[in-house]
Amino acid sequence: MILAVVFANSVGNILVERFNGVPAEERLHWRSFLVKLGADNLKGVKNEELLVACHKSVYIVYTILGDVSIYVVGKDEYDELALSEVIFVITSAVKDVCGKPPTERLFLDKYGRICLCLDEIVWKGYLENTEKDRIRRLIRLKPPVEF
Amino acid sequence: MAQPLVKKDDDRDDEAEYSPFLGIEKGAVLQEARVFNDPQLDPRRCSQVITKLLYLLNQGESFTKVEATEVFFAVTKLFQSRDIGLRRMVYLMIKELSPSADEVIIVTSSLMKDMNSKTDMYRANAIRVLCRITDGTLLTQIERYLKQAIVDKNPVVASAALVSGIHLLQTNPEIVKRWSNEVQEAVQSRAALVQFHALALLHQIRQNDRLAVSKLVTSLTRGTVRSPLAQCLLIRYTSQVIRESGSTQTGDRPFYDFLEGCLRHKAEMVIFEAARAITELNGVTSRELTPAITVLQLFLSSSKPVLRFAAVRTLNKVAMTHPMAVTNCNIDMESLISDQNRSIATLAITTLLKTGNESSVDRLMKQITNFMSDIADEFKIVVVEAIRSLCLKFPLKYRSLMNFLSNILREEGGFEYKKAIVDSIVILIRDIPDAKESGLLHLCEFIEDCEFTYLSTQILHFLGIEGPKTSDPSKYIRYIYNRVHLENATVRASAVSTLAKFGALVDSLKPRIFVLLRRCLFDSDDEVRDRATLYINTLGGDGSVVETDKDVKDFLFGSLDLPLANLETSLKTYEPSEEPFDINSVPKEIKSQPLAEKKAPGKKPTGLGAPPAAPVSTVDAYEKLLSSIPEFANFGKLFKSSAPVELTEAETEYSVNAVKHIFDSNVVFQYNCTNTIPDQLLENVTVIVDSSEAEEFAEVLSKPIRSLPYDTPGQTFVAFEKPEGVPAVGKFSNMLKFIVKEVDPTTGETEDDGVEDEYQLEDLEVVAADYMLKVGVSNFRNAWESMGDDFERVDEYGLGPRESLAEAVSAVINLLGMQPCEGTEAVPNNSRSHSCLLSGVYIGNVKVLARISFGVDGPKDVAMKLAVRSEDEGVSDAIHEIVASG
Repeated sequence: MILAVVFANSVGNILVERFNGVPAEERLHWRSFLVKLGADNLKGVKNEELLVACHKSVYIVYTILGDVSIYVVGKDEYDELALSEVIFVITSAVKDVCGKPPTERLFLDKYGRICLCLDEIVWKGYLENTEKDRIRRLIRLKPPVEF
Repeated sequence: MAQPLVKKDDDRDDEAEYSPFLGIEKGAVLQEARVFNDPQLDPRRCSQVITKLLYLLNQGESFTKVEATEVFFAVTKLFQSRDIGLRRMVYLMIKELSPSADEVIIVTSSLMKDMNSKTDMYRANAIRVLCRITDGTLLTQIERYLKQAIVDKNPVVASAALVSGIHLLQTNPEIVKRWSNEVQEAVQSRAALVQFHALALLHQIRQNDRLAVSKLVTSLTRGTVRSPLAQCLLIRYTSQVIRESGSTQTGDRPFYDFLEGCLRHKAEMVIFEAARAITELNGVTSRELTPAITVLQLFLSSSKPVLRFAAVRTLNKVAMTHPMAVTNCNIDMESLISDQNRSIATLAITTLLKTGNESSVDRLMKQITNFMSDIADEFKIVVVEAIRSLCLKFPLKYRSLMNFLSNILREEGGFEYKKAIVDSIVILIRDIPDAKESGLLHLCEFIEDCEFTYLSTQILHFLGIEGPKTSDPSKYIRYIYNRVHLENATVRASAVSTLAKFGALVDSLKPRIFVLLRRCLFDSDDEVRDRATLYINTLGGDGSVVETDKDVKDFLFGSLDLPLANLETSLKTYEPSEEPFDINSVPKEIKSQPLAEKKAPGKKPTGLGAPPAAPVSTVDAYEKLLSSIPEFANFGKLFKSSAPVELTEAETEYSVNAVKHIFDSNVVFQYNCTNTIPDQLLENVTVIVDSSEAEEFAEVLSKPIRSLPYDTPGQTFVAFEKPEGVPAVGKFSNMLKFIVKEVDPTTGETEDDGVEDEYQLEDLEVVAADYMLKVGVSNFRNAWESMGDDFERVDEYGLGPRESLAEAVSAVINLLGMQPCEGTEAVPNNSRSHSCLLSGVYIGNVKVLARISFGVDGPKDVAMKLAVRSEDEGVSDAIHEIVASG
């Protein structure tokens, strides 16, 4: 299960968060844990360079893209490898929507599109679509060109 | 990663100036949402409003029931619009709002219409939304369409239906299970994702049917699976089948070839999944491991951090069970110590610590020292724990490892980290006698500047027990007394207790301790003053050099003599009243003792936390228990108590286990009995022991349990006499005998009349190992040399065909009951010979050392050469006799 996808800006404010199967009372904990993890480790990291951590049986893969840091949390079958796949899809979709690694402003400008992309990528905790061209078409309700 | 070429656009300048959502406010957005009701819909504006709503929801804003309903109804109006972008937004919004059951009805018809639309994308999205918001009754109505969708020629529609199926299986399993045929068809789909989703769903449908899963795996491993994701799933299901097929260890493992073939797949995730599956096989052999380790080794030098992490994490796990298999990767792992990603570096280090040999320790420590300064506490704790086990494995290296620990103890760090270090030092002090003095001094220096009250008090307690037994106890006094000046009340109080312990054990220090304790009488804190007063009065002698009474020592050092759990329960049930709490009313039975003891060998004592939990004190507890029984008073000193031996199966009416207590000329069996039937009271419980197969033993007395109520453990004892100092062995059959009385479960009243009954228990054996204490030596070579060869006995034995060399080594160790030294109990895989060093104390307090060389002769025949040295000729011979007769 992909437990969470969280986007935060450079000072640690949450931009998007989608939790799956995480009780509401634990979300705050996760939010602050992830933001702290990013603050500790993401300085000087290149765009899309993946960092990985595990906490008990839960894996976290995170990275930075422009001004936005992205965290993906998973457990069981979504281990660090599967999550790296998930985050790769997410970053490429976001770049695709924004046309470049986004600044915070650009990210917010494209907010609706990004939400749609996420909806196509992660569906109730499972990875669904993995290809940015396909996702680009899907969010416009166009069928993918090839299967 | 190359950045995509971007035109220098104008909006870059004002980008940072404001957010499009600046000052966004829920009330205003809800007002804006009224545009959804406009007769002339403006799709662009509607999309913007939905985006704002999504932003609010994603920021953790919540809508009240009324607000949510209002927005939901408004959103449903948007189905009138033909704008595709807006429609997509509407689908998302409905899912986000997750309307309640009574509202769903409003959209179902629109969604059903979309679900049968000619536009594939409408179909797919409508399916997802419907499945998200639907309940069981609606599901039966749309089931027909979903089944069609699973085999739809458009993969997007098929995937949508399949993934919906995976989710619906949680809530409506009986409906989804009916789709089995369609799903099976979808598994054969040419579209990769459809295959992946179908396989996942099919497995979930059949997961409780082992045979079906096995069939599924068999057919798919033969065919071709297109998608790498599906291939990974298949590997997981395959290892599940292998695991469940049990250990049919004849010939090759089923499906191993498939896993091995996957190691050559073109997708990295498949390769990794297969490698991990192989390393996790039950009882995996070196031959099976080799190809997996090879690919993992390649991943170690991958440019992708995630692959490096995954590989090193898997190797780390393998190192726990097959350290030798991983040694080939050591060089690659050493280069990972400087990896930018600290998780990878930490895993590499802990793996190296597990696989390294004695000669590489120093080099490794140097590398770690540089590394420690720039990792977070949580990683440091992992490293400290790895170093602790390394030190126990190579006790000769304690000096450099202890130095390392004391150095990092001085550096900055949080509580958990410091506690891990202190715990490690304490364990090393306990297990490696040579490390004691330096370790205690390191701890003393630490408390001089320790910000954690908990650690300070624990160290002071430990110092009080270990410090007086060192060669020069006086040097610790300064550190302890400094605490009385500089610390908070809690630490001051424990410093006072520690001082008193030094005074009680070291007579020559007593006058000086008295001076210090008297100064504490003027402390500002009650507890500190009370303790000082108490100790001054109990130590006695009024400050002169006299020996402390035994009672006082018992008071200071003795454990509470009560199981703490019992004390806790009694205190909880005690109601404040005129009558003071009576400590004698606390039951002394050690409740669920076997459980606690079973855990003990697996888990090392966790350092300072609770000294009574250490193995030594179980013996102390037994000693106390036995000495409290007058009949056993003249048996002398207890030599050894065995671990409890279960005499009943789990979950039987009466649960009994036995502990063998060995004295010089007596053996006492302690039967721990528990009555697990609520409506029975047992009285006069004894064990009738038949010792006809133990000729040298003669029963001298039996001590019954007068009453054994439900779920309250009790102990009955049977004592035997045996020739003094002789390690007599024998087999005893046991019969539990008692009177049963019925108990009324509602009133708790017991009937007056009881019935006599018996209950057969398993046999109990006294074996040679019962006469051997496991006592390790820190430096076997020194001990061996200094023992001399006066009473050395050497002989060779053939052990016959054995399952493996490791099995033979552990059998001999168990037979002798001696302590393996320097990690020699671990036999590397596939080795043909092995040397094992053992040490122990034989009955009569005779030190014994044994050096055993094992060799494999022919296919499975194991032979060994046993050299024994001891302080007594007879004992050396006795050890050989044990082996010869075993």
